[in-house]
Amino acid sequence: MAACRALKAVLVDLSGTLHIEDAAVPGAQEALKRFVTNTTKESKQDLLERLRKLEFDISEDEIFTSLTAARSLLERKQVRPMLLVDDRALPDFKGIQTSDPNAVVMGLAPEHFHYQILNQAFRLLLDGAPLIAIHKARYYKRKDGLALGPGPFVTALEYATDTKATVVGKPEKTFFLEALRGTGCEPEEAVMIGDDCRDDVGGAQDVGMLGILVKTGKYRASDEEKINPPPYLTCESFPHAVDHILQHLL
Amino acid sequence: MAPWGKRLAGVRGVLLDISGVLYDSGAGGGTAIAGSVEAVARLKRSRLKVRFCTNESQKSRAELVGQLQRLGFDISEQEVTAPAPAACQILKEQGLRPYLLIHDGVRSEFDQIDTSNPNCVVIADAGESFSYQNMNNAFQVLMELEKPVLISLGKGRYYKETSGLMLDVGPYMKALEYACGIKAEVVGKPSPEFFKSALQAIGVEAHQAVMIGDDIVGDVGGAQRCGMRALQVRTGKFSDEHHPEVKADGYVDNLAEAVDLLLQHADK
Repeated sequence: MAACRALKAVLVDLSGTLHIEDAAVPGAQEALKRFVTNTTKESKQDLLERLRKLEFDISEDEIFTSLTAARSLLERKQVRPMLLVDDRALPDFKGIQTSDPNAVVMGLAPEHFHYQILNQAFRLLLDGAPLIAIHKARYYKRKDGLALGPGPFVTALEYATDTKATVVGKPEKTFFLEALRGTGCEPEEAVMIGDDCRDDVGGAQDVGMLGILVKTGKYRASDEEKINPPPYLTCESFPHAVDHILQHLL
Repeated sequence: MAPWGKRLAGVRGVLLDISGVLYDSGAGGGTAIAGSVEAVARLKRSRLKVRFCTNESQKSRAELVGQLQRLGFDISEQEVTAPAPAACQILKEQGLRPYLLIHDGVRSEFDQIDTSNPNCVVIADAGESFSYQNMNNAFQVLMELEKPVLISLGKGRYYKETSGLMLDVGPYMKALEYACGIKAEVVGKPSPEFFKSALQAIGVEAHQAVMIGDDIVGDVGGAQRCGMRALQVRTGKFSDEHHPEVKADGYVDNLAEAVDLLLQHADK
């Protein structure tokens, strides 16, 4: 077993692992190092509100979202983004210069993806601006049926400019590496706990972390057989994962 | 490269791209490219057969030809091979009823087509009509179909207007392909059927024809794959001479220079 690793950081998925909509997964109110999620609509403030109502003891800088990953990348590259993100996500980019943009960030913001705006983004990209995509989801479920996600529009601009976007959301390596950056830990010293076998566990293990799959949220029977190598551990729920860590990995 | 005499020997017919060769579209009917009006006139006075081969799908042939005539070009609707009529042919042959993701400017080309209860999507250069709502409508139609069919009028990445570069139909076609996990059928350049029908219209064989265009992949590469020769102009969307895969039979500053060379060396 890999129990000889010195475990220094734990990343925990939010939706499906710690909470499902507005209800906490039973027993999940435990303090942990970091909380990691792919949501791109809500700002960290909103997420914090929701989690605090469920009595999770979490501080803002312990939440790392794919928006945070995008922000980290922008700061490291020192670029000024054209932000094609939902208005509710804007607070997470506060303080970043957006005038005279030389980068494009695309999140889930359907109201933004009209011809004029995409054409503006296209011209920036042709001039050499990097394209950063929060994630490349093909579509999502709305009340009135399926709706196009950001993925198709990212693909459109990639084709138009013959370039590739840097995708920062799970399961991309960038996401996990950026999440760990603030902890000062190497991937080999960290474990990820999540309910999405491919995006949470697979993504984390691809970067060198240990992955623990929990059978709550979107988990379906035999999900653990869908990735190679399989999850380091598959267990009932978040509290069980924590027990395992405390007993075997510290 | 071989001398021009060799490169253009035996040319009897010329296919002309429109946008980026004759004119740049844009506000107020667009602007003719310097020397192009006279170049077309000279071609028509010669023994060479001329056909306009365009992927224009934002406006009808009538509107396009009207604009070009107002700029001084000698051109008529019957001389134009365009994608919308070719698509209508396919729709009729295959009993397809399309959701039209198009600009209103080209809608008249589809007047004979039944669009009720759509069983496919036709996507063209919709420009401003590429709203999220319209894209989503097309997406939802495709997702409901057991056999989703997506017909795309061309797959160009972008084109040049007087105000700058504009996203073409290609990126939006790719968006729907990605969203639905399907592949579109492309009607228009660079599909071989399209070039063939243009050649048939003037009764010239591929090896006797030369295509003149500004799109290295769609115009030049596409024409060469059909057995034609092709010249790349440095007007329109042209940006750099070195494409990793396609090598034009010649590079010219503009249509005027191409016509000078053709009249000197072709059909001898």
